[in-house]
Amino acid sequence: MSTSSAEVRSNGILAALAPHRRELSVLLAYVVLLLVLAVVAPRFFRPDPIRALLVSNASVLVAAVGMTMIILCRQIDISIGSIFSVCGVAAGLLVKMGLPMPVVGLGTIAVGCLLGALNGLLVAGLRLPSIVATLATMVVWRESLRYAREGQFVRDLPPSFQWFGLGQALGQTAVVALAAVVFVVFAWSLRNVAVGRSVLAVGSDPEAARLVGIPPGRVIFGVFTLMGLLAGLAALLNAVRFADVDPGAGGGLELQVIAAVVVGGTAVTGGRGTLLGTLIGVALLGSIGPALVFMDAKPQWEKAVQGLIILAAVATDALERQER
Amino acid sequence: MATPEPLEPPPPTPLTHAPGPAVSILPVLLVLEIVVFSLIGTNFFTTANAFEVIRLSVEIGLLAVALTPVITTGGIDLSVGSLMGLSAVVFGKLWRDAGAPIPLAAAGTLVCGAVAGALNGFLITRGRIPPLIVTLGTYSLARGLAEGLTGGVDNYTNFPPSFLALGQGYLAGGAPTQAPLFVVVALAFWLLLHRTTIGRGLSAIGYSPEGARHAGLPVDRWVGLVYILSGSTASLAAVVYASHLGQAKADAGTGYELAAITAVVLGGTSIFGGKGSVHGTILGLFAIALLQIGLRLADLPAELAGVATGLVLLAAIGLDRRGERGPRHHSSVSSSESLTVKNSQVAVICAAILAAAAINFAGNAYLVRAIARERPAVLPSSTEAGSRAASTDHAPRAPLTVALMPKSKGNAYFITCRQGAEEAAAELGVNLLWDGPTDPDPAKQNEVIDTWITRGVDVIAVAVENREGVSSVLRKARERGIKTLTWDADAEEDAREFFVNQATPEGIGRTLMDNAARILGGKGSFAIITASLTAGNMIAWQKAIEARRLEKYPNITMAALRPCDDLQKKAFDETTTVLNANPAVKLFMAICSPAVPGAAEAVKQSGRTDVKVIGIGLPNDSKRYVHAGITDCVILWNTRDLGYLTVRAASAVARGELKRGATRFAAGRLGEVHIEGTDILLGQPYLFTKDNIDKFDF
Amino acid sequence: MLLELREITKSFGGVRALKGVSFDLRAGEIHALVGENGAGKSTLIKVVTGAHAPDQGDLWVQGQAVAAMSPTRARELGIAAIYQQPALFPDLTVAENIAIGLEPGGVLRRIRWKERGDRARRLLERIGARIDVQTRVRKLSMPEQQLVEIARALGAEARILIMDEPTASLSDQEVDRLFQVIVDLKAHGVGVVYISHRLEELPRVADRVTALRDGAVVGTRRMDETSRGELIRMMVGRELKAVFPKTAVAAGDVVLETRGLSCARTGVRNVDLVVRAGEIVGLAGLVGAGRTELARVLFGLTPADGGEIRLRDRPVKIPSPGAAVRLGVAYVPEDRRRHGVILEMTTAANITLATLRQISRLGFLDFARERAIAHDYVARLGVKTPSLDAPVGNLSGGNQQKVALARWLVAGPALLILDEPTQGVDVGAKAEIHRLMSELAERGLAVLMISSELPEILGMSDRIVVMRSGAIMGTLERSGATQESILELALGHTAAARTAS
Repeated sequence: MSTSSAEVRSNGILAALAPHRRELSVLLAYVVLLLVLAVVAPRFFRPDPIRALLVSNASVLVAAVGMTMIILCRQIDISIGSIFSVCGVAAGLLVKMGLPMPVVGLGTIAVGCLLGALNGLLVAGLRLPSIVATLATMVVWRESLRYAREGQFVRDLPPSFQWFGLGQALGQTAVVALAAVVFVVFAWSLRNVAVGRSVLAVGSDPEAARLVGIPPGRVIFGVFTLMGLLAGLAALLNAVRFADVDPGAGGGLELQVIAAVVVGGTAVTGGRGTLLGTLIGVALLGSIGPALVFMDAKPQWEKAVQGLIILAAVATDALERQER
Repeated sequence: MATPEPLEPPPPTPLTHAPGPAVSILPVLLVLEIVVFSLIGTNFFTTANAFEVIRLSVEIGLLAVALTPVITTGGIDLSVGSLMGLSAVVFGKLWRDAGAPIPLAAAGTLVCGAVAGALNGFLITRGRIPPLIVTLGTYSLARGLAEGLTGGVDNYTNFPPSFLALGQGYLAGGAPTQAPLFVVVALAFWLLLHRTTIGRGLSAIGYSPEGARHAGLPVDRWVGLVYILSGSTASLAAVVYASHLGQAKADAGTGYELAAITAVVLGGTSIFGGKGSVHGTILGLFAIALLQIGLRLADLPAELAGVATGLVLLAAIGLDRRGERGPRHHSSVSSSESLTVKNSQVAVICAAILAAAAINFAGNAYLVRAIARERPAVLPSSTEAGSRAASTDHAPRAPLTVALMPKSKGNAYFITCRQGAEEAAAELGVNLLWDGPTDPDPAKQNEVIDTWITRGVDVIAVAVENREGVSSVLRKARERGIKTLTWDADAEEDAREFFVNQATPEGIGRTLMDNAARILGGKGSFAIITASLTAGNMIAWQKAIEARRLEKYPNITMAALRPCDDLQKKAFDETTTVLNANPAVKLFMAICSPAVPGAAEAVKQSGRTDVKVIGIGLPNDSKRYVHAGITDCVILWNTRDLGYLTVRAASAVARGELKRGATRFAAGRLGEVHIEGTDILLGQPYLFTKDNIDKFDF
Repeated sequence: MLLELREITKSFGGVRALKGVSFDLRAGEIHALVGENGAGKSTLIKVVTGAHAPDQGDLWVQGQAVAAMSPTRARELGIAAIYQQPALFPDLTVAENIAIGLEPGGVLRRIRWKERGDRARRLLERIGARIDVQTRVRKLSMPEQQLVEIARALGAEARILIMDEPTASLSDQEVDRLFQVIVDLKAHGVGVVYISHRLEELPRVADRVTALRDGAVVGTRRMDETSRGELIRMMVGRELKAVFPKTAVAAGDVVLETRGLSCARTGVRNVDLVVRAGEIVGLAGLVGAGRTELARVLFGLTPADGGEIRLRDRPVKIPSPGAAVRLGVAYVPEDRRRHGVILEMTTAANITLATLRQISRLGFLDFARERAIAHDYVARLGVKTPSLDAPVGNLSGGNQQKVALARWLVAGPALLILDEPTQGVDVGAKAEIHRLMSELAERGLAVLMISSELPEILGMSDRIVVMRSGAIMGTLERSGATQESILELALGHTAAARTAS
C-alpha cells in the first residue's frame, strides 16, 4: 500500500492515470493482442479489415453505451437482444409501408424507447429486481416475435433502406459516424453534464442521491428508456447494413454487450466505470473473432478464449483490490 | 462514530421459514393451470401426463434445485447450462475414448463439475468478484472448452442399453426411471437448505454476508460449497441428459441456465438472497412445465408458453414484492417519493404497452399468414396433376390427427413446408398439428413428441434435429400404436415407418462440391459458413462435402469453417473477415439459410467480383444476389412439396394404405413418387440459378 | 421566523416516531435539539429536509406553508442538512460530492470542473480541513467524510442549516473551527438547528435548546437560563445519576494476553494487553484510536500479522472468526444492524446463529432445542419480542443489542469483547445491559469493553486501557482514573481542553 502510493506521488503521469488503471489494463491487453496480430497476421491492419471491424461493431458499441449506464446504476438489462430484434423488424416493416427513411429511423427508435420504458416502469415503478424483470420481458418479446415472423426475413425493402440510401461507402461512414457521435456525446455527457453525474450518483448510493435531491427512480427509469432507445438505434445501424432484416438479429447480444462492459471495467456494484473502458471492451471482444480467423485458429476455441479473457479481466480487478 | 438512530423500525419482512407470497400463490396457479388445461387440453389430467411432466422437468429441475441455495446466498450461477455441455463431453470422452465403465465415467464427470464449481467458488470468495461476472466468464469458458475439445462435431452415442434405461425407461407403475433420482437430489437439497446448519448459514449469508461473518460462520467455505454443489449437479444433469437422449454432445443444456433461474425465482427465492426454498423452486418448475405441456395439449403454439412464462414470472415477482422492503444490499430504489407515478398508473401503462404490442404482433402475424396464403403455388411440380387427384382419394372416415414437427419454430425454411402440409391436410380432411421447440435444443423435440403421445394423435412426423436423441421417444410412440415418420432429416430406421427424403447429405454434398469445383475451375480454396459447430445436419453436410472433395478434387482446399449462429449478421461478419484474412478464398459455401444472403451481401460489399457464393437456402433470399452475379446458385428442394408429401404419406400410413415394402406411392398432386427401401423420395434437389430462380416464390 | 413546524406526526409501521412536535427557528439563531437516541431528532430533521413526509402537521418556511416537502424543494427553500451518517457518494470525488446538489440549473447543464474544484477547496479551507478534492470519498476516513459533509452544507449557502451530530468524530481543532464558522453564519442571519449528544458543547454555540423525549417535545429553554442537569432531566425524565451496577470481583486467571500484537493493514501496533477472568477491562480512546481494529484482530476478522495472542496461557492463532469462536472469543460488534444481528432473520435464529453446533445433530437442526435455548435466553435477558419468530429488525435497538449479546452467551465464551455495547440503546435497556455485564464478570467471564462514553468506562471497568493511533498509551486502575486522566492519555500531548469545560 505504502509503496504504490509513493510511486504515484513520485510520478505525475502515473498519478494522473491512476484512476484509469482499469481501462489501462484492458487497453494493455488489447495492445498485446494487436502486437501479436502485427507479427502473425500483418494483413489485419489493412484498411478493409479495420473498416469491417468498425462497421460491424458500431451497433454493438451503441448498445454497450446504454448497458454501461444501466450497470453504472446498479441495474442490468438482459432484454436488449430481444428489443434489438423487435426494433430491426419494426424498421423493416416501417420502410415497407413506404415511409421515408428519417421517419423509419425515428419510428424504430421510438419502438425501442417504448420497450425500454416498459422495463423502466417494471424496475423503477414496480420495484422489480431488474435481472428478473428483464429476463421476463426478454422471453416475452423474443417469443412474440418468433410467433409473428416465424423466422422469416423482412424482404424486398426499397433501395432507400440499405445504407440509408446513401450507397455503401457513404453509408458505412454514416453508420460508424453515428455510433461515434453517440459514443462521444454520451461519454462527454456522462462526465460533464449534470444528468450524467446523476447516473453515477444513483449507482454510487441511491439513498444519498435522494437526500441531495436526485430522484433515483426517475434516473433509473430514464436509463432504461435510454437503453431501449439506444438498442433501437443499434438495431437500425445494424439493419441498414443489409438488404433484408433478420428477425433473429439480436440473439445473444445481451451477453456479448454485458461482457464488453464488464471487461471494460464497469463495476456491477454500480457507480464505477467509464465509457472509454466500454469502448476498449467492445474493441477487444469484437476483435477476438476476426483475430482468430487471421491467425488461422480453429473456430471451436473462440468461446473458450472469450471466456478466458472475461475471467482474466475480472481477475486483474480482484488482484488489484487485494494489493490495496 | 455515527450510529443510526433506530427510529425507523423496518416494516415487517417475511420470516426466514415462512413461505413467501410466491410460494403461496404458486399452488393456486398450479391448480388453475390444471383446471384450465384439463378443460381445454386433450388427456391433460392423466397419470401418464403427470409422469411425463416429471421426466421432462428432470434436467432443468436438477439445475434449479442446485441453484436455489446459490441464489439464497445472494449469488447466481450462469454457467450451469454450459457446464452441462462440458460435462457431457467429458462423460463421453471418459466412456468412449478412455474406456471407463459407465459408473466410473459418471463419477469422473461429477468430479469435473465439482472442479468447475470450485473455480467459480474460488473466484467469488477469494477474488471477491461478483458471481454474475465470474459465472458469465465460466459460461463462455465451459461451453468453449466443450466445443474446443470435440471441435463441436464429436457426438458420443451407442451407450449400453442399461445406461439408456436410466433416462428412457419406466419403473413399475409407469413412473419414469429418472424420477427417483430427481426426488433423492431434490430431497437432499431440501434437507440441506431447510434442515441443516449449513442451510441456516446460507440464508444468513444471503441476508447479510458481514453479519454472518461476525457470527463466526465460515462464509467463504459455505459459499464455495454451494457453487461446487451446483457444478456437480450440473454434471449429474448432463449424465441424465445423456441417458435420456442417448447421446453426449457439446451443445447439451444450451439455454438451460435461464430456464432454471426462472423456475427458482418463480418459486419465491429472492434474487437478493436470504429467502429461498427448494419446495418453492419445485412448484415453480412444475408451474412452468405444466404451462408448456398444457398449452401444447390444447394445440396452442409453443411460443405462447414462453410469453405466458414471462408474464407469470412478472406477476409472481410483482406480488412477491408487494409490501416487501426494497433490497437492502443492492437497494435499487428506496423511496416511494422517488417516482411520482402510482402503482396503479404503472399497471395501466404497462397494460397499455403490452396490449399495443400484442395488437401489433397479432396484426403482423395475421398479415404474414394472409400473405402466405395468397401466394400462388407456382411450382413446377404442382401443376396439372394437382387437386384433381386429391379430391378422389379420401374416404369418409373419422378424421385423422397428423402431428408434424419442424426442427424448430422460428425458422423461415419451414414456413413453406407448413403451407404444403396444410394444403395436403385440407385435401385429405385430416387434422394437422404443427408445433415444435422454440429453442435449438435436441431435448426439446422429445418433449413435444412426448406430449403428443399423451395427447393421442394418429401419426407423428418429425423433422429430426437429433438422430439418436429422438429415436427412443419415437419407438415409444410406435409402442403406443402411433405411426411415426420422419422428414427433412432422419432418425434411426427402426424408430419410424418411413423417411420422407428430400435429399441425402451425400447428394447435397456432391452437388455443392461439384458446383464449387465448376466455379473454381478445379483448383483453389473455399470457405464454409455453417450455422453452428454442433448442429447435426450441418455436420453431416460438412462431412459429405469433405468426402466429395477428397474423392474428386484434390486441388481444392477448404480454407476456413466459420459458424454464424444462424444469424445473417454474423454470417456477414465472418465472410468479411475471411475475405480479408485470406484473399485466396474465391468461393463461399453457406450451408444454412440465413447465411446465404449474409455471405452474398458481404461479398457484394467487399466489391470482390472474383468471389462467388453458393449454398443451401431459400430462393427468395437469394434472388437479388443471383441476378447480381454474386451468388452462383443455391440448392434446395421444393419445401412446399416436402410438407405436402409428408402429410400425404403420414395419412396413408395411418390408414394402412402405405406399408413398408411398397415401392411407389400416389401422392396427390405430386403423382407417383418412388420409395427406396423405407425412404420416400421427393426427387432431386433443385439447383436454383439465374435462369430459373424467378419462377419460384418461397 | 425562518422555520416553523406545527404538530408534526410521523409513524413508521405502526410505531409513532413523532407525536405532534412543534419547533421553530429564527433567523440568526442557533437552536439546539437534544434527546436520547430514539427520541425522534433525526426523524424530525428528515421531515424538515423532505426525506420523510409527515403524516400530519404543517411545515412553514419563511412564513410560507410548504405542502409537499421534498429534498429538491428543501434545497430551493434554502435548507441544507448534515446527516449523522454522511450521505456521500463513495465512488465520486470530494469536489463532486460537495458540488452535487449545490449547483443551480437544469439536468442538462454543463459541469464546470474547475469551478467545482475551486469551490470545494475554498469550502474545505473554511472549516480548516486538509483534504485533496480529487480523492474518491471511498478512500476517506470517517472524520474526513464528516468534514466533506459539513463543507457541502456550508456550500449550499442555506438560510436554514441543520446539523445532526456534526462533531461526533471530529478532533478538537476541527470542532473549534466548526464553531467559529457557525457563529459566523449566525452573524449573517442564518438559522442553525444543532443536534448534539455532547451537552457540554451547547453553551458555546446554542441560543435556545429544545429537548425531545419519545417523539414529543419536553420543553424549550434559553441556553443561558438552563443547566446541564436540567437538560438531562428533560431528556431522560429523571436526573441521570450514573448508577453503574458494577460489583467488585476478585480477578482470576489470565484469560487473554497479547504481546506485541500488530496488524499493519488496520494500524494496530504493538499491543500488550491482559484481561483476567472476572475482570471488565475498559478500552478507551477517541474514535479512530484503533480500539475496534484491535477487537477485529482478536476476533479474527482482520488477522494479526505480528506479535502473539495467548488464551488461557496457550499461544493461539486466530485466522478467522470461526477460529475465534472455537477458542472461546466472542465479539459484539459496534454496528449492530449490519454486523451484530441479521435483521431479516428471526429472534430464535439470531440467538443460535453462532452456536449452530449446539442446536444440531450431525449437521441437522433440532428445532425444538433451538426454541428451548432461544426461549431461555429471551427470558434471562428480558428481550422484549412479540415472538421467537419475529424478525429481529422489528425489535427496538436495545432489544436487538440483547439478542446480539444472547447469541454469544449461548456460546459460553471465555472472553467477551463488547464494542460500544450501549450505543443507540435507551436508558432502561442500557442499565439492564450494564447489570448483565456485571453479572457475567461475576461468573468469571473476562470482558473487554470498548466505549466512547467516559462515564460508562469509568463506571463499569475494573481497569481502563487507553489507546491512541493503534497503540496502547497507558493503563489506569479503576480507583485512580478520572475523565481527565483518560483524555490526557487519549489525546496525547494536547490538553484535554474540550471535556474539561
